[in-house]
Amino acid sequence: MSSLASSREIQEKVLATQGRPGAVHALLIVAAAAAAAFGAWCWSLQIRYGLQVSGLNRPVGWAIYITNFVFWVGVAHSGTLISAVLFLLRAKFRTAVYRVAEVMTVFGVMTAGLFPIIHLGRPWFAYWLFPYPNERHLWVNFRSPLMWDVFAVSTYFIVSAIFLTVGIVPDAAALRDATKGWRQRFYGLFAFGWQGTDEEWRHYARAYLYFAAFATPLVFSVHSVVSWDFAVSILPGWHSTIFPPYFVAGAIFSGVALVVTLLVPLRRILHLESLITPWHLDMTSRVVLLTSLVVTYSYILEYVLAFRGPPSVERSTLAYRATGPFAPLFWTMVACNCVIPLLLFLKKVRARPAALLVICVLVNVGMWLERFVIIVTSLSHDRIPFDWAGIYRPTFVEVGITLGSLGWFFLWFLIFVRLLPVVSISEMKEASVHGVEDAA
Amino acid sequence: MESKMRPEAGVLGVFSDLARGAQAIRALRAAGHSDVRMASPAPFPELVEALGRPRSRLDSATLSGALLGVLAGFALCIGTAIAWPLVTGGKAIVSVPPFVIIAFEVSVLVGACVNLVALAVTAGRGRRRRPVPFDPRFSADRIGIFVVGDGLGDAETILRTNGAEEVRRVA
Repeated sequence: MSSLASSREIQEKVLATQGRPGAVHALLIVAAAAAAAFGAWCWSLQIRYGLQVSGLNRPVGWAIYITNFVFWVGVAHSGTLISAVLFLLRAKFRTAVYRVAEVMTVFGVMTAGLFPIIHLGRPWFAYWLFPYPNERHLWVNFRSPLMWDVFAVSTYFIVSAIFLTVGIVPDAAALRDATKGWRQRFYGLFAFGWQGTDEEWRHYARAYLYFAAFATPLVFSVHSVVSWDFAVSILPGWHSTIFPPYFVAGAIFSGVALVVTLLVPLRRILHLESLITPWHLDMTSRVVLLTSLVVTYSYILEYVLAFRGPPSVERSTLAYRATGPFAPLFWTMVACNCVIPLLLFLKKVRARPAALLVICVLVNVGMWLERFVIIVTSLSHDRIPFDWAGIYRPTFVEVGITLGSLGWFFLWFLIFVRLLPVVSISEMKEASVHGVEDAA
Repeated sequence: MESKMRPEAGVLGVFSDLARGAQAIRALRAAGHSDVRMASPAPFPELVEALGRPRSRLDSATLSGALLGVLAGFALCIGTAIAWPLVTGGKAIVSVPPFVIIAFEVSVLVGACVNLVALAVTAGRGRRRRPVPFDPRFSADRIGIFVVGDGLGDAETILRTNGAEEVRRVA
């Protein structure tokens, strides 16, 4: 099979997703904008009255904001995993799903980046995080994991945005040549004069390989760096050598689950069922299952390491996590991340998009809880029993900002899917000619 | 969107089948046509291979950028640590292990940015030096094979016999 007969059909299906949103889509955009506006108002309260409006207090100085930061950086990982790592591994199922994952990465990092600034309390001093020449000759501390974070997350955002933009170029050219008026001019901006000549493809293929090669170590490094925010401290519950692989596996787990969460309704709303097929969902959900098993292993290992040695503060903290006032959250996390994903072993569950959606939403709830449990329980139960009485409760400002971050993320995402192709047209054309799914 | 560049005189064949397009390119090269170009909607490796073009050389620019990033990362960390020699966490002023992380991140950042610039320069230059007549079908569902040089009558015959659905002269 080498005919390009289905190429135009693919292009027209993707083109049909562009432009004026339907009623459901418009409603979702309004809801996301309202949530983002509510979050912004809550943040304005915090700026006005200070961190006293949050539930942060001694000993819990890091809580829901840092939980959100780690969660959003985590979900951003799947984009690079699917687009770069699976590209290098030549996994064919990535073709239909990688654009959604890349878009999710960029907007996920944009959302994550808000939280350290919100957490600062005085966001107007956020520029202190960056190294710049100043009159006091005072520089940032590059020995601090928080500074590694600034560099890791900034690099991740820039590289992911470049990767996404470069991937869009041939698709924007195809849409530019298929449209007229302002849409032609708009797509022309993203096409950068692309004509699809052999010279362009020759350099493009090589450059894309390099982008993938650069992005791949970032998948593993960024969340390792985020885990070091915790692991290089000496706090029981945080100070652990298994944190980097544990966090990376968790990041990929939550990220791929969010990709499935987005894909299932998206393919229906945008009528992309023939491009994003049950096979693509099946293969993606297998990644969710695999990473769920790795995360489960990490949970078990964390407890085994603490309980095999002599009695320690670490053991006490982990026992508190599973039996203390936060135990319902801990066991919900275990159910969502370790037990429910086991259903994905069943082929008939993987074949049902609705079941996948429910499982993946629960995985995201579980992964958010995991970050919350790690951060808050460890701080609530440190070495000084005097501190143990304090139970952290998020205030409505913190909950509002968290809801606002969801609105912020979905607002960007929902606007994007109407402006630029959410499925890679050129790679789908290549896959259709080579009969990828038939060969798999 | 039509290119402002005017391609040289030649013969343009339009194909709707990948295998036939690749076969036509091979036949044209075997017949002595050295300047065969192509435009396609997707990066079909068969066509690129049939054209026999050398591998892109943007590697050297990209890798130089990555190396420059490593040096810049270390220079930033070491230079600023020496400029403000404050001991923190009991670590040495120039403590290399934590600086490796910054050097790695800056290396990836600079390497990726240089890769982007190299792509823009090389692909843009290639498009200008070896243009193919514009046809919106080449970004949709057709492959364009463009032959430049002498013996265009022979090229027309080869394109037709290899299954071109349309062949035309470009003046």
